[in-house]
Order: sequence, then structure tokens, then C-alpha cells
Amino acid sequence: MPADYDQFVTDRLDRLLRYATALTCDKHLAQDIVQDVLLRARQKWARIGAVDVPYLYVKRMVTNDYLSWRRRRAARDVSSTHLALDDLAPAVADPAVRHAERDAMRARIAVLPRKQRAALVLRYYEDSTDAEIAGILGCTEGTVRSHISRALHTLRVNENTPSEVLR
Amino acid sequence: MTDTRQEALIRDAIAAEADQAVDYRAVLANLHGRQPRRRPFALFAAAGLTVAAAVVAVVVPLAVDRSAAPSAVDPAAPPGTTTARTVLLIGLDGSTNTDSVVLARVGVDGAVSAASLPRDALVDIPGVGQGKLNSAYARAYAAAEAEGRDGDAAGVESLAQTVEALTGVRVDHYAAVDMAAFSTLSEAVGGVEVCLKSASRDEFSGVDLPSGRQSLSGPQALAFLRQRHGLANGELDRVVRQQTFLRALAAKVAGSEPAKLAELARLAGRHLRADPALNLVEFVGRLTPTVRTAIIPLGEVVDSENGQALSVDPVAVRAFMAGFFADGATGVPTGGFSVPLPATETEKPGRTPRHDDCVR
Repeated sequence: MPADYDQFVTDRLDRLLRYATALTCDKHLAQDIVQDVLLRARQKWARIGAVDVPYLYVKRMVTNDYLSWRRRRAARDVSSTHLALDDLAPAVADPAVRHAERDAMRARIAVLPRKQRAALVLRYYEDSTDAEIAGILGCTEGTVRSHISRALHTLRVNENTPSEVLR
Repeated sequence: MTDTRQEALIRDAIAAEADQAVDYRAVLANLHGRQPRRRPFALFAAAGLTVAAAVVAVVVPLAVDRSAAPSAVDPAAPPGTTTARTVLLIGLDGSTNTDSVVLARVGVDGAVSAASLPRDALVDIPGVGQGKLNSAYARAYAAAEAEGRDGDAAGVESLAQTVEALTGVRVDHYAAVDMAAFSTLSEAVGGVEVCLKSASRDEFSGVDLPSGRQSLSGPQALAFLRQRHGLANGELDRVVRQQTFLRALAAKVAGSEPAKLAELARLAGRHLRADPALNLVEFVGRLTPTVRTAIIPLGEVVDSENGQALSVDPVAVRAFMAGFFADGATGVPTGGFSVPLPATETEKPGRTPRHDDCVR
């Protein structure tokens, strides 16, 4: 195994897991996907290691794996699982209103269509440009903007919904 | 870009979600502990063809590499056991076509016997019915993927069952090699000597070679191994090409310095997949350079649903395999299909290719 693959994993695994968790809203699914992708990447490392930014390439593999139809069944369960988990957690983990709002937003993001959420996570968590997001999702920048504006619209519409309804 | 209040909230929420991630250290340990995945996936054709060569050219260097850090112990096969083992070598063409299938046996004494099963052989696929050998994997793969299961695992399972049913030999392990390995490896050893009876040019494989003795490496080596169109005996000539090429490659590898072997091992390791239970270290520890190769008995060319196929007589195949894989069997196997070329003979890696090794 090429040493730089091991180095890559050591350097990037934590970030990939966080990204995948934000993307899937399911840490176990995220772990499965990242493990699968890294094992596959190891086989192709001669090629991946040679690209300019291997992290971007691997991130795209993670994203595509989640968006692929193979994961669709698992993905369908995610939002409900996530909400169910939220139900089990203290209703408001932190007394601060800010945190309550944040958790409510988490729940709303978790039920967005997957591509919209992927675009949102890439922009607001990974700080990717529209062009980078387009490259990762395999669509045009226009589509990226459309995904994001729809997501923002949905989240805004829902903003006034009492969070109790969602819980 | 200045965030609106909503955007700031979204950032917070996503970051909070990301914080739920599992501890990467646990995943790191997982990754290190796992074999490169059960799936044999993108393994390609040529590979399989003679375990002989495949073992020497691919597995041996791989094992040299692994010997410093033995792979996970298989409870069913603790290191040190010396029973004969069978290995199914699978070569995929990049999607789900098993372009080459070889069943090999490594005897207690380390001798290797390898039988090629032509992909066009018309066989009984358990649970499906009659079909070409190369359809077993693809069909099971598609069915499994449609149900969200691991297609590669299902493909291997179906192919293994088909081979077991046909040969009467139990398949203990599988291994598969990426065709690209032979492009890389041929380059790494500085070219592999082959001899062509006539110039070869074919756009399907991209082969474009003159007649006569020559050294192949890189993409032309790959094309040489893949060409099937435009050969007098099609698939069967290809099998012979693969066997010849692999023997020549094995000869080069066998004569390499330890440092070179280590490099080849790294290259080969990228292209080889084996089931986790295949303990390569133990497996290779008892190999001898003696390798016998053969092609299973074949019947007439017949028309099937999927074009022309080769009929096989399961009774003849089983009888042949029983003799070929028998303990202590040596020399030229009898009863196998012979292409009028040196496809079936006892070989020792390291031998200089003879003039009559020239292939179509």
C-alpha cells in the first residue's frame, strides 16, 4: 500500500466522517460510506493520488455513494431515524434559545431532498464554491444555485413552524 | 459573502450535525484491520489464465510484500495447515463480464495445476439454467444490485457454484486480478517476450503488433492479452496468448532481485483481490515452481441464445478434473481440450521461450 494513502487517511478521515455525517444525518451510514469509499480508493490510489486534490476526488466519491440509488433505501430511513433519535434526546439539549433553534434547523435540514442537502452542506460546511459543488454533484452551477435556493426557501417557509410540530 | 441570520443558523446546524460523527480513531482501526474488501470487483480477464504464472507473477510478489505483516488469520485455515486448496481465479473486463475463469489447485507439495474454463462454455448455472459461463457472474450481479445487495459478492457466489457444479471440485477460495496489472507489471519488468506468428491488428482491443519475437509492455501488452476478434480460434487463441504471456512474465519475475520483487509486489497488490480467507502467506509458502496448465474438455460450437457457445460434457469435464487435480498427478494432463499450441504442458518458470511458442 502506498504510504501516501495511509497519510491521506490519517489526515482526512476525521473531516470526511464529519462531512459524510452532515450529508447523511446518520453517523452510522456515514461511517459505512466513508469506509467503503476509502477501501475502494485504496485500490485506485495510483490514480487518485496523482490528481491535484485527492481530497476533492474522495469527497466526490463519498457524495456520489450517498446519492447513488444503492443507498436510496437506507437514505429513506435516515430522516425518520434522525427525528426518532431527536425524540429520545432531551427536547432542548441546551437551555439557550439559540441551541433550540439550531436543533430545530438540524431536523429541518435532515428532511430536505438529498441533493439539496448535499448542495447545502457543501456550501455551508465545506465552504465550496458553486463551481466546486457543480463538479462534485455532476451538474451545472445553475442547478446548484437552484438546489440551494429551493432548500433555503423550504427552510424559510418552515422557519415559522413551531418546532414542537416537527418533534 | 455576508451570511443572513438564517444562513448562520444553517451553518451552526450543519456543524452540529457533523459533530455527531463517529470517532475517526475507531474507523481508522477498522480500516487497518480490514482486507481490501470481499468484493473481487474490477478484476479483469487475462489475469486468471494460468495460475501458474498468475501465482508466480502476482501472488508470490504480493505475498513477499505481505510476509512482513501476515494477513488476518482465517479460523478455517490456520497458518501451517497443509491441505490441498483450490482457488477460483476470476477476470472481469471492467464491468461484470468474467472474461477469464481458471480453477487452480495447489497441492500439499506446492505443485500448481490450473484449468482454464473458456468463458463461452455452455454450462448449467445453478438456479438459472443453461447459459454461457461468463453470464453467471453478470446475471447474479445485476439481480443482487437491483435488490440493493452486494453485486460482486453475489457474482462470485454464482460463478463459484456454477464452476463447482460443472467440475465437481469444491472452490475453497477466489482471487481476481485486474487486467491493468499486466500493463503495469509488464512495464515494471521491462517488457515481456512474446512471439507472434503473424502481424496482429484489431480495433476492438487496440492491438497493433508486427509478426515475430518482440517485447511487450504497457497498453500493447494489455491489448495483446485482450484480443479475441480476428484470431482464427477466437477466445481459445486468446487463452493460449494469455498462458504464453503469463509464463513469460513469470519467468521475468522469477529472475528478479528482491528489491525489484518488492516493487512488483506493490504494483500487483493494487490489482489483486482475494477473499479474506485466502491466507496468501501460507499459500505461497509451499508453492513450487512446477505448474501444469490445461483447458477443460470442450465439445462442438453450438448456437445459444447469446450467440455461439461451446458445448461441454459435464461428465467428461468431471472425469478430466478428477484426474488433473489428483494428488501426485504429474506431466501432461490427458483428456483436456488442446489448442494446437503449447497450451498444455508442464512448465517451469524461468525457461526461455522457444521458437514454437509463437502464437496467433
